[in-house]
Amino acid sequence: MLRASAVCEAAGYPTSSLTCEGFLRQAAATSVGLGMPNIPVALVPGHIGNKSPEQLQRDILEVTTQAVIDNLTIAPAAKGDSAEPGPRDIVVRGGFKEVNRYFYEHEYSDGLPIVPPTLDDIESFLRFVDRDPDEVLGVLLPDRRAATVWNVAVNGVMAGCRPEYMPVLVALAEAMCDPEYGVEHSGNTPGADTLIILNGAVIKALGFNYAQGALRDGFLPNTSVGRFWRLYLRNVAGFLPHKTDKATFGNTWRVVLAENEDLLASIGWEPNSVEMGFAAGDNTVTIARYTGGGSLSSVTGSTPEQMLPYVADSVLRFNNWQITFTTSHGDGALRPLVVLSPIIAETIAKCGWSKADVKRYLYRHVRMPAWEFERQLRDWNIRGVWDLKDDVTAGRIPKVFYESDDPNRLVPIVWEPEDYMIAVAGDPLRNNAYVFAHNGFLGYPVGKRIRLPKDWEQRLETRD
Amino acid sequence: MPGKPNDGYYEAYWPRGPRQQRTRALAPRLDTLSGKTVAQLWDQLFKGDVVFEILEESLKARFPAVRFVSWREFGSTHGGEEKEALAALPEKFKAMGVDAVISGMAC
Repeated sequence: MLRASAVCEAAGYPTSSLTCEGFLRQAAATSVGLGMPNIPVALVPGHIGNKSPEQLQRDILEVTTQAVIDNLTIAPAAKGDSAEPGPRDIVVRGGFKEVNRYFYEHEYSDGLPIVPPTLDDIESFLRFVDRDPDEVLGVLLPDRRAATVWNVAVNGVMAGCRPEYMPVLVALAEAMCDPEYGVEHSGNTPGADTLIILNGAVIKALGFNYAQGALRDGFLPNTSVGRFWRLYLRNVAGFLPHKTDKATFGNTWRVVLAENEDLLASIGWEPNSVEMGFAAGDNTVTIARYTGGGSLSSVTGSTPEQMLPYVADSVLRFNNWQITFTTSHGDGALRPLVVLSPIIAETIAKCGWSKADVKRYLYRHVRMPAWEFERQLRDWNIRGVWDLKDDVTAGRIPKVFYESDDPNRLVPIVWEPEDYMIAVAGDPLRNNAYVFAHNGFLGYPVGKRIRLPKDWEQRLETRD
Repeated sequence: MPGKPNDGYYEAYWPRGPRQQRTRALAPRLDTLSGKTVAQLWDQLFKGDVVFEILEESLKARFPAVRFVSWREFGSTHGGEEKEALAALPEKFKAMGVDAVISGMAC
């Protein structure tokens, strides 16, 4: 909303931004990145979703109306740029505890001890890429700061990464900067967390875990690279809890999910990197934000027809309000992810099914009655003026969502089979799966190739 | 200079990046809402339709000559088409004679 207001102000139109009480601090922080720290907001007391009609009317009349008038007719006091350190500035000198205290007090750390980013360590990271340290990889909202190779290295050191992870970290920063991903939405209230999927020979070269406990901490590359992501979101994008990060609950960062490419090759399924448009064997990262999901225990059967009904049912159960991204609000951006353990994928593939077959199955079987779909969004959630018929009639979503007036007609939760994503990892000999509920355009899947330095293998051999 | 025993000594660099956006001036404010045209922008979430109805009534009660352009004219300002919707606003405002904007809902 403030982004819209900033566009209007820049075009010469005074604005008033209607802001619920819990979002005042977010508005104040976000406005700095928009270059308009004094952009005015009009308070809506409390939260609008839990007021009676009478209370809402009273609040708008008694509080918001005058604020709107003031916003549009009284020039807010000017605010200037605040002074900050430079990119190559040392900000603290001292012992480990002192450095950590300073970083925590200045909101540079996540609460765990960080590795102090010293010049020696930063340079050791930079030696693993053939890139200019000052190269700008992109600009990240909400702070609108430059993502650079240098500050990737600084945050990689802090996260406890090893220097040789640097090509992966740079690829992640490039992915974060990709407009299709939508990093600016990373502070939204459902508190979705990014999952990083890794593909290619770097998985083994760098020692990523892709087997049992694939999403568990305890493996240095998976854990520290996941932590890097959150630190980079904090320090360079600018997402800070109680300010720009409005996660109602949130989670700790997710560790990196590395695919079991040996298994994929043995059953003839393409890795996620190929789904993302890269060649098989390419080293890639894929990022997307997920609001939740969960594990399916014991997917039993020896054929796809016996196993996939359970998977399809779970996809539906774990994706509830997220169907808002299936409608015109999200422009069909819902991309549920299903992670299959190797034995499940192998059992399905033995019956001649490809990944695409599984996706088609899910598209045909993950369906819900239209009345439930509309109840979820219109009656229970946040979309008060909307229904499937309107969306289809206006050509905003596919016709499959309104093929009759029967409220019991079954509708899918994605636009087409290819919207489903499937990855393979985890305990090779346990028949469990995991469904991730996607956050739509507020963290759309984006893949980036990992650019290794020319003498990568030699550098790996000489690492400390 | 050493820190406490066994605590080491470190010179730690700033982990952030330079801001790429300087502070910009806001648009000039209006002298009054009377006789002015106010556009409503809505992200089509959080009861903005109800709020705009109430606001219209209350502002018209105080400024009878104020005119509103409904949020329905502009599409959602938050969603898959956000960038396109926002880019189109200045031209639309110009064509509609808009003087000011109320934008919602941050909830």
